[in-house]
Amino acid sequence: MVIAIGFEGSANKIGVGIIRDGEVLSNPRKTFITPPGQGFLPRDTALHHRQNVLQILKDALDEANISPREIDVICYTKGPGMGAPLVSVAVVARTVSQLWRKPIVGVNHCIGHIEMGRLVTQADNPTVLYVSGGNTQVIAYSERRYRIFGETIDIAVGNCLDRFARVLKLSNDPSPGFNIEQMAKKGKNFVQLPYVVKGMDVSFSGMLSYIEERAPSLLSKGEYSPEDLCFSLQETVFAMLVEITERAMAHCGSQQVLIVGGVGCNLRLQDMMKIMASERGATVCATDDRYCIDNGAMIAQAGAEMFKSGHVTPWDETFCTQRYRTDEVEVTWRS
Amino acid sequence: MRVPFPSAREAEIAFNSLRVDAEPRRGGTKRSLRLETDALLVHWVAKEARSLRVSVNGFLEHLNLVVLTMEQFGPPVEQA
Repeated sequence: MVIAIGFEGSANKIGVGIIRDGEVLSNPRKTFITPPGQGFLPRDTALHHRQNVLQILKDALDEANISPREIDVICYTKGPGMGAPLVSVAVVARTVSQLWRKPIVGVNHCIGHIEMGRLVTQADNPTVLYVSGGNTQVIAYSERRYRIFGETIDIAVGNCLDRFARVLKLSNDPSPGFNIEQMAKKGKNFVQLPYVVKGMDVSFSGMLSYIEERAPSLLSKGEYSPEDLCFSLQETVFAMLVEITERAMAHCGSQQVLIVGGVGCNLRLQDMMKIMASERGATVCATDDRYCIDNGAMIAQAGAEMFKSGHVTPWDETFCTQRYRTDEVEVTWRS
Repeated sequence: MRVPFPSAREAEIAFNSLRVDAEPRRGGTKRSLRLETDALLVHWVAKEARSLRVSVNGFLEHLNLVVLTMEQFGPPVEQA
């Protein structure tokens, strides 16, 4: 039996999760929410995390009804992510690791999402679409690595959506992506936008510039509503994601898609993926917002898998890194 | 900067928690940490007052977090 505690704070969400042998015992989380029209900056985000992390740690232990003595391994996000928030959370993980004399494991954020997605959906060997504010990758497991078959060559799809929400001054509560999704449901007219798929890769910066540039005039002329723009942006970016995912499935002969990351919460994306999958005779696995969105339990889950297969991070390597590629990690816990 | 702690073990914990992260590359500041029994010694070298201030402030914020963590989740478990 392995009990792992995970610390996650690579972006604007701070969470601590406790997992025992694949069961989530607790997973409290807090989101740093900025005013409409503004994104979150590293320094303010780190301050938010420092102010909340110890209370969330306490909540996690209380909710799980676990004492520190029972914990086997401390897991934290090593990267990728924003520098200052990552370090603020890692400092706490390192400190409790020493206070309680437990081993520590540095986890790759992307692999945290994948392992939690696999646990919750019981997907065996899916093609993974990892989409969030900081990452957009199509991943398949092969020979001890989570291989990146396709990815964004500039900004993440979630970043594109979040920035467009700033243009429209949408609320960031509970998240700009969620608010775009709600607006899109009321959209009726489609605006043609640049569709930029490059083989297995995608690009969103041109589309973002295009819609940012044209949004004011399209709206002021009354030709389109904000809802129409949200609808059109979603249809275009999600179709791009579905295309590259399908291409990866075809190359790998895969029969399963797993969508992870914050944008994976989006029901329209899930619907579009399901249509593609059913046409291919495949299935789609997705999680709800408890696990799609960054959380501590996903770090605990990946950390537990790593720990059980022999990974422990040497102390001098318990630093954080803003760039940490998914395929850098040797996956010793899968055959 | 010299930071005294209640015990050598606590100073060691703070030292280990804070020493592994490098200063941001573009900052132009160098920082080194050392232990002296129950105190933590920090030495900075910087080219500009502004980057020195940013680095010291950042360090103090993390130091404060370490102290709060030890206060709330300590005391350290004795050696098994």
